[in-house]
Amino acid sequence: MKLPFFHNPAKASDGREGGASDNPGLPLMGGQIVPGVTDTTRPDETRDESFLTPEPEADARGAPAAQRVPAVTAASGTAGPTKIMARDVSVFYGEKQALYDVSLDIPDKTVTALIGPSGCGKSTFLRTMNRMNDTIQGCRVTGRIEMDGNDINTKAIDPVLLRAQVGMVFQKPNPFPKTIYENVAYGPKIHGLTTNKTELDGVVEASLKRAGLWEEVADRLHSAGTGLSGGQQQRLVIARAIAVNPEVILMDEPCSALDPIATAKIEELIDELRERYCIVIVTHSMAQAARVSQRTAFFHMGRLVETGNTEEIFTNPRERRTLDYITGRFG
Amino acid sequence: MIWLFLPVLIALSALAFFGGREIASRRAGASAIKAHSRPSQHGYYALIWVGVPALVVLLAAAIFSGPIEQSVMQAGAPDSIAQLEPFRRDAFFNDARLVSAGQQPHQIWPQALAEQLTQEARRYGDLSRLLSLGCIVGALVAATLGGLFVYTRISPTLRARNRVEGWIGGVLFTCSVVAVLTTLGIVFSLLWDSLRFFQSVPIAEFLFGTQWSPQIAIRADQVGSTGAFGAVPLFAGTFLIMLIAMLVAAPIGLFSAIYLSEYASRTSRAVFKPILEILAGVPTVVYGFFAALTVGPAFREAFNGLGALMVGGPLDGLGQYLMLVQNQMALVAGAVMGIMLIPFVSSLSDDIINAVPQSLRDGSYAMGATKSETVKRVLLPAALPGIAGALLLAMSRAIGETMIVTMAAGLAANLTLNPLDTVTTVTVQIVTLLTGDQEFDSPKTLAAFGLGLTLFLVTLLLNIVAQRIVQKYREQYD
Repeated sequence: MKLPFFHNPAKASDGREGGASDNPGLPLMGGQIVPGVTDTTRPDETRDESFLTPEPEADARGAPAAQRVPAVTAASGTAGPTKIMARDVSVFYGEKQALYDVSLDIPDKTVTALIGPSGCGKSTFLRTMNRMNDTIQGCRVTGRIEMDGNDINTKAIDPVLLRAQVGMVFQKPNPFPKTIYENVAYGPKIHGLTTNKTELDGVVEASLKRAGLWEEVADRLHSAGTGLSGGQQQRLVIARAIAVNPEVILMDEPCSALDPIATAKIEELIDELRERYCIVIVTHSMAQAARVSQRTAFFHMGRLVETGNTEEIFTNPRERRTLDYITGRFG
Repeated sequence: MIWLFLPVLIALSALAFFGGREIASRRAGASAIKAHSRPSQHGYYALIWVGVPALVVLLAAAIFSGPIEQSVMQAGAPDSIAQLEPFRRDAFFNDARLVSAGQQPHQIWPQALAEQLTQEARRYGDLSRLLSLGCIVGALVAATLGGLFVYTRISPTLRARNRVEGWIGGVLFTCSVVAVLTTLGIVFSLLWDSLRFFQSVPIAEFLFGTQWSPQIAIRADQVGSTGAFGAVPLFAGTFLIMLIAMLVAAPIGLFSAIYLSEYASRTSRAVFKPILEILAGVPTVVYGFFAALTVGPAFREAFNGLGALMVGGPLDGLGQYLMLVQNQMALVAGAVMGIMLIPFVSSLSDDIINAVPQSLRDGSYAMGATKSETVKRVLLPAALPGIAGALLLAMSRAIGETMIVTMAAGLAANLTLNPLDTVTTVTVQIVTLLTGDQEFDSPKTLAAFGLGLTLFLVTLLLNIVAQRIVQKYREQYD
């Protein structure tokens, strides 16, 4: 009995790192993987048993597992060249190592999702990309992270300026206790991006429009940002991040504190922002990764287990652990 | 004497506990129904019913035996003693008590009275023995009655557990009531005596008068026989010193709080915080003599020296003035009080800044803000209400502070805002009005209650406002 999800790692044909998808034309129907169709096409002789957990549901022929995989609905294909290149990145909190030798390429104008169970190091990795780990005492980062070919961990790079280039959105909406206008104007003001009030007004309006919040708040720009709903606050925070014209936007579980409708709006927004920015999103929700990302990286126990196009990760993972995670068997 | 009964009472209570437990478990064993409470809960129930009534009797005896003794003695005294002047009679009975306790009398009484004294002392001894015996018997009876009551009550259906719980609640409630009643009592005595003061001095004169000289002459023809009770110079002095103290404490306290919460590494925080707390623990009287003996002379010498340099120059007048500056001035008291308030302001502000959620800091750093930009643009605006509350609390402490101003500010009630001048404060005047030999019905003494009431109302108002602000701020981030 064979599962459709495991293939010969030696047969690289699709540009995925170290792995192969031998079945690019995996039939999809209504977003659902149709079980049984691909199942007998090719015997999988070289399957490496060493990292496999016991086979699930003995005679289910992959069907139950496959049905639990969220449907990939995000637009596919990576649009830009590599924006951020991480090589052998390890992170230590004091004596404790949180991240082990992660190497990952993140393409521009693409949404890259970092998935994995709690405590797997995905947020830690996200925070290495704008050196937010610098603000944590006792945190040490080794390895090399390049943005557009420049190492961001050298002395020559000012983390303060780097963070203006790499915006970040957090799990819990964190608007400052200021007006909506002041929230968005915060970055342009501290970085001196505008010279007069009219310019600043323009930046605020453009950012709010780009974050899809302008219509809702245009008439109350000078009321408190903390008075908005959770979803609006999160879009306000996104507007605040894009007001300084970043190149990369990091999102750390941006929807985990939001209701489904607000989540849908944010996801729609992420999809629009993809055209201008390199977006990296940490998410707990497999379904969200499937809906918004083009690339997915799966982390487990501080290690990068597998990375590839989202569609392939979700339909054709090379690693048993990835399958187990995306089908909800653990995590 | 009767307190010697306390160990007996404790032993009785212990007996009640073990007895109650034993009886309860026996009755539960003999009964078909499952007992509601465990035997030891019955034991506690028995302990309460034996111990509490006896304790109440003892307390009542301790409070009332003195007065009873006195009135019985006075009622039964022979005529020769009853005819004495009141203060001599009191002294006589006092000596009688001493003699009955086997001590020497305080004074030598004339022959006739000395004989009476031994007689009265004997009567005194008999009476107090009787009273002690009476209250011990009373306590024993109360304990026995309580024990009998419990003995009839203990049964498997008795909810001893809930009843003990009720008693515990009652004890806790009593303790809190004591605190509240004491406060109320203080407020009412303050109000009562202030009313008496305002009968002799009109409120308007007290609140708006600009002359303060509470010395009232003994004879009507003496100079300044009326006294003046305009408290405005005191309010002005208090305000001036409070202002100077806040000018010192607010920036230094706030900035050190910012340093501690945002900039300090874990190690330097571990050094600085305890030191600030030590500063907070220094008794104010120590600050007081630091102000009077160290800071005051140092300031005076500095100003005198500065004045000497200026005399003869274009600022001759100012120089002349500075050369005459005294040790005691508002500046010294205010500055030392400010130092005293630094740890207070900094630890409150530190708490408040720490209460600003980390997510706001992260958000600001992630926007590329530096630490000082984050502090200035995000943390301080977010923490501002709380910091304002902390400063109001510090102000109310500065207004109520007594020791430092008593020692370093002076006594002259000058209506001035000049920090180099000697001023006096409300608290200092209360101290001077009430220390030493005083008669407690002259306006001079009663003025202290008027001042006390004003002070109490002002600090109460400041505290209420400050607590409200801090509370509101806390809720915002919970």
